[in-house]
Amino acid sequence: MRPGCVWCGRRFQPQISLADLLRWAPLPQPQVCVACAQRLKPITGPRCPACGRAQATATICYDCERWGDDFVNHAVFPYNSDLKAYMQQYKFQGDYRLREVMQPILRRALAREVYDVLVPIPVAAETWRTRGFNQVTAWLTDQPYQQALVVREATKSRPQSSKTRQERLRAQQPFQLAPNAAMVLQNQRVLLLDDVYTTGRTIRHAAQQIYLGGAETVTSLTLAR
Amino acid sequence: MGDATLWFGRRLPVPGPATQPGKPALVAHHQQWRCQRCQQVVPPGDELPEHVPYCRQCLNLGRLTAHTKLYTITEPNRFSRVVDGGLTWQGHLSDHQQRAAQELLQRVRHQESQLLWAVTGAGKTEIVYPALAWALAQGWRVAWASPRVDVCLELAPRLARDFAAIPQAVLYGGQPVPYAYRQLTICTTHQLLRFEHAFDLVIVDEVDAFPLAMNPLLLGAIDRAQKPQGCRLLLTATPDRQLQRLVAHHQLAVTYLPLRYHGYLLPPLTVQLAWRWREQLTRGKLPAALMRRVRRYHHQQQCFLLFVPHVADLAPVVQVLRRLGLTDGTTVHAQDPDRQAKVQRMRDGDLTYLVTTTILERGVTFPNVMVLILGGDDPVFSTAALVQIAGRVGRHRDHPRGDVVSYCQSQTLTVRRAQRMIVQLNRRGRQLGGRP
Ligand SMILES: [Zn+2]
Ligand SMILES: [Zn+2]
Ligand SMILES: [Zn+2]
Repeated sequence: MRPGCVWCGRRFQPQISLADLLRWAPLPQPQVCVACAQRLKPITGPRCPACGRAQATATICYDCERWGDDFVNHAVFPYNSDLKAYMQQYKFQGDYRLREVMQPILRRALAREVYDVLVPIPVAAETWRTRGFNQVTAWLTDQPYQQALVVREATKSRPQSSKTRQERLRAQQPFQLAPNAAMVLQNQRVLLLDDVYTTGRTIRHAAQQIYLGGAETVTSLTLAR
Repeated sequence: MGDATLWFGRRLPVPGPATQPGKPALVAHHQQWRCQRCQQVVPPGDELPEHVPYCRQCLNLGRLTAHTKLYTITEPNRFSRVVDGGLTWQGHLSDHQQRAAQELLQRVRHQESQLLWAVTGAGKTEIVYPALAWALAQGWRVAWASPRVDVCLELAPRLARDFAAIPQAVLYGGQPVPYAYRQLTICTTHQLLRFEHAFDLVIVDEVDAFPLAMNPLLLGAIDRAQKPQGCRLLLTATPDRQLQRLVAHHQLAVTYLPLRYHGYLLPPLTVQLAWRWREQLTRGKLPAALMRRVRRYHHQQQCFLLFVPHVADLAPVVQVLRRLGLTDGTTVHAQDPDRQAKVQRMRDGDLTYLVTTTILERGVTFPNVMVLILGGDDPVFSTAALVQIAGRVGRHRDHPRGDVVSYCQSQTLTVRRAQRMIVQLNRRGRQLGGRP
């Protein structure tokens, strides 16, 4: 029996065109049904040039203006109720299989980025123990990456998601460079990869450390903003 | 492991290292992993890195992996005895209700499982009270479970008021109050997965409702939550064919109550043909007969519910109604975050109509409402759903009659079965002196 949609579990007929059949090639294997695919609407219209959030105009947003730097993030999806539902099940309930929903999407998004070294945001050892996976690297299929950052011990007192904006902005640097990170970062264009850009604090902490490691430029890609 | 009462009659994952006591949550059997909480097979590929299988079927109760252990303390029924089972309800039952209530009580005394088949608006909750009070007075642990969270939410305040002397817990996904060990538990059937041989009596309210019907996961949950020597009481207005077969073959004891508490019969389900209504709708039109009817309701300030098959039908239908000048209505569906609020505004008279999917088919009561069904022949409307929808009408003794009209492309078997069920119930009701 054909397995159902990896997200909602419903069985569905993959849409196969006559051209697919005539091509005699292995058929593409869709992981999600049409209804679930429609829940995922990428950001296509105007967006903030700095953080990538969808908005009415293509001017720099208020939050980014307050940062006052020239950091650039790209985001695939708006962080709306559908993305929250996805992250809730994938990250907080620990449904590792849901990585498959985003793998092809991240593959295409990464192909559009210009970089030499991909550095995913790491998770703390405690998270590894309870969740059992890094929600960011699980989206990667065969794209090479460098785990150039590690989470400092005893900094992860409380999950980011339970903090207020003010608390998050005051947060201490949670990352340090992995041993020998400088060797892979030296003079490279580095792309950070994270799940959700909320205040931009985490990604900037990560970028600071990457610059210390000798990177030439640091930009980032997040699944949602 | 902290407060021991948390583990009484429950089956919970043990936090901390694998050296803790408990049984493995996932057990390998014939080269398949099976979850010990929901009893479902873990399909190959549902695994974490390092090939650690985990169960996705009951994931929303907290993830169980092959490394998790489950722990239970045998239910000790550690409750202080309350006189009269804590019943503080002051109302009284009609003669028919009284007879049904006594039948239920007798079977519960003999720990016999049974079905109460009572029409919509029969007052089935109160009919259960004497049996429930007796069970609680014996020190039994009781669960009142329903597949529908709306039913639980409507029930909980009533039971809190009518059994004021009994400590109660209300459990559903996203509940605001954490679990506590209580003699009476009101919960969704899904929550029963967390229990093991806890309840002497399990009452299953709206037993035929989605998602319980034909769902082996939830049916198994009821089996495991009930003590082996315990019994259960199933409540429904619209038993499915499987339940009806059990009754017909004398495998399940049944009590009928074919008459509403106010003594009036069920309003019949009328069918009107509406040719190609969906095509009409794309051109911004509704069937002419339906438009005439809603205009009349509008003039009379009569409230109504208009059921449509799919969420996608809601917006076009409400647009047509608004263009007709019916501006004081809105739409509801299952994922609507404002569902409760909109239902309340309808009850308060702020709204005169709701266009809705089957989500309002049961568990919600309006004192004086008419019901229209657009596309009643669509497969989303099962026989039970149609009878339940019809049952929204005539609930109050001041407004015991009303219209139930289904606009269909064709007379389907499902619609005819629903009409037949209402006719049969009314035939029985008439024998009890029911008034049309
Ligand atoms: Zn799906
Ligand atoms: Zn911005
Ligand atoms: Zn399970």
